[in-house]
Amino acid sequence: MPSKKTAKHITEILDNASTSALSESELNEVRAHALECGSCRSTYEAARLSAVVLKSRAHVVVEPSPFFQTRVMAALREQRETESVPAFARLWKSAKVLVSSMALTTAALGVLSFALPATTPDEQALSAYSAESVIMGQTADDQLSYEQVLSTIYEDDDDAR
Amino acid sequence: MDLDLARQAQVGDESAFAEIVRRYSPRVFSVASRFFRQRSLVEEAAQEVFLKAYTQLGSFEGRGSLEGWLTRIATNTCLNMVRGAKRRPEFTVSDLTDDEASWLDHQSAGDGEAPSVENELVASDLADRVLSVLSPEDQQALLMIDGEDASIKEVAEATGWSESKVKVRAFRARKKVREAMEKLLGR
Repeated sequence: MPSKKTAKHITEILDNASTSALSESELNEVRAHALECGSCRSTYEAARLSAVVLKSRAHVVVEPSPFFQTRVMAALREQRETESVPAFARLWKSAKVLVSSMALTTAALGVLSFALPATTPDEQALSAYSAESVIMGQTADDQLSYEQVLSTIYEDDDDAR
Repeated sequence: MDLDLARQAQVGDESAFAEIVRRYSPRVFSVASRFFRQRSLVEEAAQEVFLKAYTQLGSFEGRGSLEGWLTRIATNTCLNMVRGAKRRPEFTVSDLTDDEASWLDHQSAGDGEAPSVENELVASDLADRVLSVLSPEDQQALLMIDGEDASIKEVAEATGWSESKVKVRAFRARKKVREAMEKLLGR
């Protein structure tokens, strides 16, 4: 005898409850309709298998390890210790390395600024000249003074006359 | 009894809190196992639950059971952890392993394989695949009702949702999972 139920009605039954929770009469109704209707047959099959895999998934339960209680109690003590330290102390604990290194750098720069003698502008010019000499392969002693250059020129002129 | 234990733990009695952990770890692990499969993740979640419970002991008034109170903390803690984690991409038919494809073929042909540890694992892997189309909240509702045969009321108590919300979530989730399974069967 053809089922009077519509495909929509069957789908509703299947979406309202797991197939494992359907009453016998509801199951019979669904099965009877599924025999005649291909679409409802695949809907029922999918609903049935969904129920099977969900049951299997629910059986997967991780058991607590024997050390779990110890682990939680250790974490709890650590949490309580952290909470008992004032906020500024906690901030200092995490920032002290950075602050210390900044203070050391400032102190080192201060020592270098005050302890080492400052250079004068003349010395700076000399240093620049000396550097040029090195580049040109000359030393300061090799340089002719202005008077020496003039006397050399005039000596040559006198010789010519 | 539960209330005494909670009060003792609240005033700093470590042995009382250790007893709470010992007594209710199986329940908390069972809740966390719905959300996670990996032992390390389940343990991490369970530890987080007990640390949170310790700080909230003052709010336990003893009206319900300590187990129920911890179940609610566990469910909400795990939901937050899952929401914060990167969502897995939805499965595709080509992602099916040979074992999963073979399990589906046998089941739909009506010659369901004999129950074994391996078959149970394959089936629960398939469950994770089809559940991945749902939000973490809908997964919870469906796993509790269809997987663990929990009542609508029990789910409402464990999650803090109204019963009508649980019904809507379960209906919507069941429909989506069935459609995902139909897709797998028609591959």
